[in-house]
Amino acid sequence: MADLPLAGVRVCDLTWIIAGPTATRVLADFGADVIRVEHEQAVDAIRIGRPIVGDAPTLNNSGFFNYFNRNKKSILLNARHPDGMAILKRLIAQSDVVIENFSSGVLDSWGLGFAELKSIRPDIIYCSISGFGHSGRDQEFTTWGPTAQALSGLTFMSGLPGQPPAGWGFSYMDHTAGYYGAIAVLMALHHRNRTGEGQYIDISQVEAGIILTGPAVLDATVNGRSWRREGMPPGNRAWEPAIAPHNAYPCRGEDRWIALAATNDAEWQALVRAMDDPAWAESPRFGTNEGRLANQDELDAHIGDWTAACEEYELMALLQAAGVPAAACQHAGDRFERDPQLAARGWWSHLHHAELGDCEYDGITPRLMTTPGTLRSASPILGEHTREVLCELLGMSDQAIEEALAAGVLM
Amino acid sequence: MNGGTEGPLTGIRVIELCGPLGQLAGKLLADMGADVIKVEPPEGSSARTIGPFVKDVPGPNRSLNFWYHNTNKRSVVLDFERDGADRARLRALIGTADILLEDMAPGTMASLGLGHDDLARDHVALIHCALTPFGQDGPWAQYRVTDLVALAAGGPMRMNGYNEEDVPGAPPIRGHGDQGYNTACHFAAIGILVALFHRDRTGQGQFIDASMHEALSCTTEVGMPYWFYKRTNVIRQTSRHAAAHRTEPWYYPSRDGKGVLMFGIGRDNASWRKIKEWFQSEGFGLQFDEPRFDSAQARQPGRGSAEAAEIVEEARRFFAAHDAEFSYRGGQERGQSWGVVYSPEETMQDPHWHDRGFFVETTGEGIDAPALMPGAPYIFSATPWQLRRPAPRLGEHSHEILDALT
Repeated sequence: MADLPLAGVRVCDLTWIIAGPTATRVLADFGADVIRVEHEQAVDAIRIGRPIVGDAPTLNNSGFFNYFNRNKKSILLNARHPDGMAILKRLIAQSDVVIENFSSGVLDSWGLGFAELKSIRPDIIYCSISGFGHSGRDQEFTTWGPTAQALSGLTFMSGLPGQPPAGWGFSYMDHTAGYYGAIAVLMALHHRNRTGEGQYIDISQVEAGIILTGPAVLDATVNGRSWRREGMPPGNRAWEPAIAPHNAYPCRGEDRWIALAATNDAEWQALVRAMDDPAWAESPRFGTNEGRLANQDELDAHIGDWTAACEEYELMALLQAAGVPAAACQHAGDRFERDPQLAARGWWSHLHHAELGDCEYDGITPRLMTTPGTLRSASPILGEHTREVLCELLGMSDQAIEEALAAGVLM
Repeated sequence: MNGGTEGPLTGIRVIELCGPLGQLAGKLLADMGADVIKVEPPEGSSARTIGPFVKDVPGPNRSLNFWYHNTNKRSVVLDFERDGADRARLRALIGTADILLEDMAPGTMASLGLGHDDLARDHVALIHCALTPFGQDGPWAQYRVTDLVALAAGGPMRMNGYNEEDVPGAPPIRGHGDQGYNTACHFAAIGILVALFHRDRTGQGQFIDASMHEALSCTTEVGMPYWFYKRTNVIRQTSRHAAAHRTEPWYYPSRDGKGVLMFGIGRDNASWRKIKEWFQSEGFGLQFDEPRFDSAQARQPGRGSAEAAEIVEEARRFFAAHDAEFSYRGGQERGQSWGVVYSPEETMQDPHWHDRGFFVETTGEGIDAPALMPGAPYIFSATPWQLRRPAPRLGEHSHEILDALT
């Protein structure tokens, strides 16, 4: 097997919940040695996050945790104990990256601010992901993914006009703050390769969300236009570029939908042919994009009448063959069972987990042709690698480990 | 603005052949110091035709979408799909680059003699990232998408929507802001940087097959685990997480016509005491002193108790009687991770982001004074994000780039 591209990069992983573990999932997938430092008295809440397998949470039977923490190691360490802190510092000395997503100020309160980390390991890369960042008047405020989505404008931008926001039905900004964390660490690693210099990276989850609204912000600062106005947000209709049709339409069966759009007149004409040239579509009202935009209610009603009798994957194939952008609106089960693209590219795989048994996983993207990422191990049992890391990496003797165990340091 | 220091990608040259799909990936690299050369056809990148435009007047240099996603890049016009001489110039340009980032349909580059095998023959260090809707192969590889269509296929859209009783018959809802493209670009950037790290150590470049569909399909949080372990598809709900079962509302209208995001009220005794005192000082929740509210268990909405329902109802009344900002800040000051549902430009009214220098000024055709836009997604202590130049006018750097080639 080719060497993994991040082989030899060690990450002291102090993250929890989702945003931080997403960043380290990316790094671990590409071969970094990610060591989760965990503590029984303040366990990652996702370790009891549903879905779990079995009747009650055991800290090791969460499918949710397993999803975000594959390919990683776990050690148990009580950093509140002076000997535990000493071991943590030895681990940091052996690490290229320290990453955490505590509330602002927590790591400082442990005495592990950047200056201290740097004194332990001069070229350390320290990445923090918090809600509001480590500076500014509200740095003590806290977020979960939905908070960041609300405060950044993303929740507002998802919804039908005249209705409450639909928002995001998952912590999109936990994922995305994690992606920014991974990007930042990788950039810092390249800089360190070049210069030997480490650094401190401060990521605010809310700022990472605002980053994703740039054109809407510029429309306000350049044109004085707010998204809080009649007809906005526009649901599944297009904002910019303003095109029609552009929507999700019902299909045969319960809660089945197809998304389709015509980005120009040629695609519109292809759609009309695919619909068997219905009489309504001959109206000059629909002959131009401007006309279709002006008569969108009528246009969407006609298209919806047509799609409602169709099966969405057949429709997708028909429309795509005609050159019209269209796709079934897939849920997780659809992607796993019906999506031929993910299947053909080998997106799904299995690994064994001591408590969860045979587990399914999604793949690693993007695909690096020479040095692809790999799935090597399921998520770690709490403390699974304590002895291995302390002994093999930190060089602690069996006796020293036994003493630390007895003193309550490794819990 | 940080002065005098360089970004971590200083010295890295990127050739970008991207429209709306891939342009954010180029920006992420350019904003951190890479020399990103955007190669455009004579009519310009298709992103230049996306509104909104400055003062609503279209023009190749007036697209705000283009302004935002093309900061710090240089623009050169090459008619490389039609003109052999320009194709040779593009090839020479790629020869000077570390990274090629393109979002052409699979097979397009190869049909021009610019496939990775052709390019790598005399440039083994080249990192070539091809970002496409579905990847280079597979039955959907040539399918067309828009951001909406990609979010539908990839899964995120199916998570967003409404309770049936709130908006009968509502479809799954796409969150706006081209989040399909954005997520694809986050993964493209990750792939490029992983490959760059490998190249730092070995001198070897490689081809990267980046699929938007895969990027989206691993960005649906609890959606996949519920399928993997329960064979359950989570159900979408109004303004909150999709879940296996219905959960309590998180969105509450406020007096000023906005909305508060509220969850987790009463979860622990310490924060409950603070919230209770605050609500009562404003004349709400006077019944909360009754002992039946003392149990954290009874206060959990998921348990369906009368107490939990009363707390939610009092919160609804409280939020309806106050401005959203008041409730948000009051909650945060009492340890609650609550928020306001801001429209995107309302984020600029919060002084916290200005304390951090987050919003930055840009300029361009048709405006007299600089305009603010979001700036750095991360603060680097040694190699900061920098806005060195605004998005380029079409062909602004053609001469300097092509002169340097000869």
